[in-house]
Amino acid sequence: MNALAQLGAAVVTVCQPVSLLFMIAGVAIGIVFGSIPGLSASMAVALMLPLTFTMDSSLGMNVLVAVYIGGISGGLISAILLNMPGTASSIATTFDGYPMAQKGEAMRALGIGIVFSFLGSLFSFFVLSFFAPMLADVALKFTPVENFGICFFALTMVAILSSGNMVKGLLAGLFGLVFCFVGMAPIDGTPRFTFGNQDLLAGFNQLTTLIGIFAVADILISAEEMNAKGVQTIPVTKVKGFGFSMKEFISWMPGAVRSAIIGTGIGILPGIGGSTSGMLSYVTAKNMSRHPETFGQGEPEGIVATECANNATIGGAMIPLLVLGIPGDGVTAMMLGGFLIHGLSAGPLLFVKNADVVYGIFAACMVCDLIMLLVEWTCIKAFVQVLKVPKHILMPLILVLCAVGAYATNNRVFDVQSIIVFGVVGYVYHKFRLPTTPFVLCFLVGSMTETYLRRGIMSYKSFGAFFSHPIFDFFWFIACGVLIWSVYKEVVATKKKKLEARAAA
Amino acid sequence: MFFRKYGDFVVGIFYAVLGVALIIGAKALPKSKVMEIGPDFMPTLIGVIILILAGILLVETASRFKAQKTELETSGYKDTSDYKRVLGSLAAATVYVNILKPVGFIISTLVYLLIQIYILAPDQSRTKKDIITYVIIDVVFTVVVYLLFRYGFKIVLPAGIFAIQ
Repeated sequence: MNALAQLGAAVVTVCQPVSLLFMIAGVAIGIVFGSIPGLSASMAVALMLPLTFTMDSSLGMNVLVAVYIGGISGGLISAILLNMPGTASSIATTFDGYPMAQKGEAMRALGIGIVFSFLGSLFSFFVLSFFAPMLADVALKFTPVENFGICFFALTMVAILSSGNMVKGLLAGLFGLVFCFVGMAPIDGTPRFTFGNQDLLAGFNQLTTLIGIFAVADILISAEEMNAKGVQTIPVTKVKGFGFSMKEFISWMPGAVRSAIIGTGIGILPGIGGSTSGMLSYVTAKNMSRHPETFGQGEPEGIVATECANNATIGGAMIPLLVLGIPGDGVTAMMLGGFLIHGLSAGPLLFVKNADVVYGIFAACMVCDLIMLLVEWTCIKAFVQVLKVPKHILMPLILVLCAVGAYATNNRVFDVQSIIVFGVVGYVYHKFRLPTTPFVLCFLVGSMTETYLRRGIMSYKSFGAFFSHPIFDFFWFIACGVLIWSVYKEVVATKKKKLEARAAA
Repeated sequence: MFFRKYGDFVVGIFYAVLGVALIIGAKALPKSKVMEIGPDFMPTLIGVIILILAGILLVETASRFKAQKTELETSGYKDTSDYKRVLGSLAAATVYVNILKPVGFIISTLVYLLIQIYILAPDQSRTKKDIITYVIIDVVFTVVVYLLFRYGFKIVLPAGIFAIQ
C-alpha cells in the first residue's frame, strides 16, 4: 500500500504544467526518431541529454523518460504504413500491420497498435512499481545457460512459423543464421566468412538487414506489377475512435495479457530485448489462435501481440536498470547515464535511499505512456496522409529514407549497400516462395544463441552441465517438445494430403 | 513459369551448395584450444542441418514433380511480372548506394529519385506534366531530408563534391 501512496504523490508532482509540456515535446521527438529507421530511441536520448542538464533533476528525468517511451512506440507507425520497421522491436508489427494497411485498414491498424502499445507499457510499469526488487533477484539467476535456453526456445519457434511447408520454412530461417556468422565470432573474435573485407568484420547490422528484407524487397516486388495496375494509391477507410469495438477489445484481452507478460519477462533479462519479445509473442499468438492461417494476412491479433509485448519490454528492462544498475541494451545504457547525471544512484539501496526519485520515474513513465497514446491518436489522420501519395512516387522516397536511415545507424556506407543486398534476398525469397519471417527470427536471435552457448560452456566446461540448471531444462525440454510435435503434425498433414490427391486422381 | 516449375529444385540445390560451403568454410577456421567448441562449431552444425534439409527438399520435390507439372500446365498459369521495372529499379538503387559517398547525398539523391520514379511510373503517368511534378517532389524531398538530418538530427550525410556548410 505504501508503494501505491508514494506513486500517487509522485504522479501529482509529475503532472505540473511545465513538466507536462516538456514531456509532450519529448514524446513527440521520440516518436519522430522512432518512426524513422536508423534513428533510434538511443540516439534521441543521447541528443536530448545535454538539453536536460540545465533543467532541475526531476524535470530532466521526466523528459528523458518521455523521449525513450516515444522512441520505442514510434516504430509502429512506419511499420504499419510503409512496411519499414522504424526500430527492430516493431519488426513483427509489419507482418500483420502492413497487410491491414494495404487492405485500406491503416487507421484501424494504427489505432489497435497504439492502444495496445499503451496497455503493454502500462502493465509493465505496474509490475515495475510493485515488484521491481523481487524480480531483479530473478534476473540475477539468469546465467548465460538460461539465456541460451531462451534463445534456443525462440529458434525452435521457426518450426511453428513454417508449418504447412516446414522444410522450406526451416531452410529459409537457417539462411538467416548463416548471415549471423559473418563477422567476428563471439568470445574469441575470430573473423569468419569475411573474405578479407574490413566492413564485414563487424557483421551485418540488425536494422539495415530488416530494412532491406522488408522495405527494399517490397519496392522490387511492387515494381513487378506497377505498369499493369496503373497509378495506385492505397485506400484508407475512415474509422471512429480507435477503430475497434468493445467486443473485439474484450476478445483480444487474453492475448494482450499473455503478450504483456512475455514482454515484461523478456525485458527483465538484460540483453535479449524488444525485437525477440515481439517475435516470440507473435509466434505464441499464432500458435494459440484458433485461426492461425489468418496471421500474416492482416490479423489484428498479430498487432496486439507484438505491440503489447515490445512495449511491455520497456518496463521490464527498467527493472534490472534501476534495481541493479545493469542496462540491457543501448537505450537503457543511455538512460542510466542520464539518470546518474541527475543524481540517481542505481543499485540495491535505491528503494531505501532514493524512493522519491524512483517513484518519480515510475510516475513519469505512466504519464508519458498516456501522453504517447494521446499524441499518436490525434495524429493518426496526419500519418495516414502518407498513403495518399501514389505508390510509384512513395516507394522511391521510402528507399531514400531507408538509405539515409541505414547510413545514420553507424555512419558507414557499407550499411547502405547492405540494404540492397538484403533487398535482393527478400525479393528472391518472394520469387521462390520462401517465407521471410523465419529468416528474420533466426537473424535476430542467431548471434545471441551462439554467444550464450559458448559463454555457458566457457563457465561450466561442458554442455552436459547445462542440464543442472532447472530454468534451462524447462526451456530446453519445451523447445524439444515443440519441435517434435510440429514435425509430427507436419508429417501427418503431408500424408493426408497425399491420400487426398490419390483419392482425387 | 520457371519459378513455379523448377523453383524448389533451385532452392534445394542452392541450400545444398550453401551447406557444403559452410562445412568447408568452417574447417578452415581455427579450433578452440580452451573450450570444447570453438568458432567453427556453429557453422559446421548449421551446415550439416542445412545439407540434410536440402536433401529432404530435393527428394520431396522430385517425387511430386510430375504431378505438379501437369497441374501447372492445366491451370494455365502465366508469369505476368514486369521484370524490366524490377531490374531497372535494382540497377538504379545499386548505383545510388555506391555513388552516395563519392558524389554526396544531395546530387546523387536528386538524380536517383527522378530516375527511380520514372522507372516505376506506369506508362500513362510518364507525360511531360507528370515529369515536372516528379522533379518538384524530387527537389523538395531531397532538400528537406538533408536539412532535417543536418540541422534537426545533427547527422551529417555524405557531402561529396557539393556541401552546405
